[in-house]
Amino acid sequence: MKKYRDIAGDAGSNVLGQVGTQQERLRARMARIRFKVAVLSGKGGVGKSVIVANLAAAFSKRGMQVGVLDADINGPSQAKMLGVRGQRLDFQAEGVKPARGPLGMRVVSMDLFLPSDETPVLWSGPAEEEGYFWRGAMEVATLREFLADADWGELDLLLLDLPPGTDRIPNLLSLLPELHGVIVVTLPSEISQFIVGKSVTVAKEILKAPVLGIIENMAAHVCARCGAEEPLFTGNDSRQMAERLAVPFLGRVPFDPLLSRCADEGTPVLLAYPTTPSAKALSQIAAKVGKALRLPPALLDTEEIR
Amino acid sequence: MKFLCVPCDEPMKIQETKGPEEGSLTVIFACPVCSRQVALLTNPIETQIVRSLDVKIGGEQAPTDPMRFVRSTLASMREEMPSAGGPTATGSGCPFTSVANAAFERETPAQGAIWTEEAAQRLNNIPSFVRSWAQKGIEQYAKERGYQKITAEVMDEVRDRFGM
Repeated sequence: MKKYRDIAGDAGSNVLGQVGTQQERLRARMARIRFKVAVLSGKGGVGKSVIVANLAAAFSKRGMQVGVLDADINGPSQAKMLGVRGQRLDFQAEGVKPARGPLGMRVVSMDLFLPSDETPVLWSGPAEEEGYFWRGAMEVATLREFLADADWGELDLLLLDLPPGTDRIPNLLSLLPELHGVIVVTLPSEISQFIVGKSVTVAKEILKAPVLGIIENMAAHVCARCGAEEPLFTGNDSRQMAERLAVPFLGRVPFDPLLSRCADEGTPVLLAYPTTPSAKALSQIAAKVGKALRLPPALLDTEEIR
Repeated sequence: MKFLCVPCDEPMKIQETKGPEEGSLTVIFACPVCSRQVALLTNPIETQIVRSLDVKIGGEQAPTDPMRFVRSTLASMREEMPSAGGPTATGSGCPFTSVANAAFERETPAQGAIWTEEAAQRLNNIPSFVRSWAQKGIEQYAKERGYQKITAEVMDEVRDRFGM
């Protein structure tokens, strides 16, 4: 009796061929983007999305064409942080034109599909209590469409804001095997660092993408009156953790209420208050990321990012 | 997934897709040698997983509508969002996606369907797990024939014709 591999093709649907066509469309779209970088964290609430919005601003400010893909399908925040929630996606036959954020950055987020603040991402289909069987598959399909069907155009850099946790990271492997790098965001707390270490391992061993480095967010509180720094957490030194994990340490971003306020208002702090300590720290981190990506000198032609 | 006709040792081919009903799709395969048929019946979870592949069961490539999958599967979307297969559609749309999506449409009572008291009582006597399916079928039957009311006589017609 014939075995599975003895039979060429399927029963007539050519499912593999159709999937191959999808992948080809994805490859063609991604070929026009010079660098794709994923930003992740092991733990939620570390401020990863704010970091993404500000890195996007830092590179846009240097004249780069930047895209931001909000890959946090269930907890999208980039549309709000980049002030594009009121925009309508423009559906064209060749693709969906992303929303335009500050300095022309292109933004795609599930938030741009949802009708109201309170609307969660729910899929039509079987009862949600059965969702653990299929929800992950729906999210991967959505991410594939965001990558392949958005008309990103020619981009210098696409930043992917991944959801927290290590479980979604391998999804990227099938979609973006050519990922140029991963940035990991942590807090200086022991529990955050404990989990972030797992993310670094997954990125290195499964994604096999270069880990561009670790960013420590909410590193310390800077007194608005006297400028003195006070630690907010009592964890280990993130620089030492980076050394232990054999990945670069990109820098620390101090805790700054302005970061949150600017995110709420839809303008990255790096654009709204570029001289604050947090904005300067983010700018210096962007410079290190740029160097790690070996950006051409033409894209590093300002003092701040050199 | 492949199907093999054991007596003929021959791979079977897709012959027809039916449904869906209650989230289940029927795909009929036939042996090209002996014409033996088998039917694959998916449960709603399996249908959903296949749906996430965004492929067309039965073959034939068609140009795809951008972000068709998201637009056809999200339970609620912004009003201005074009429906999948809408203004930007460049092809005939995906039959599998469309039938799968139809399977998951929120059930809405037919507007304007009037049931006489006797007919409504007979509907209530139908077992609950098939009642809504039967109701939709009867309303559709009545609508297609221009009946203004669903009466006991209409239900008799449906029963005689379809064995319901």
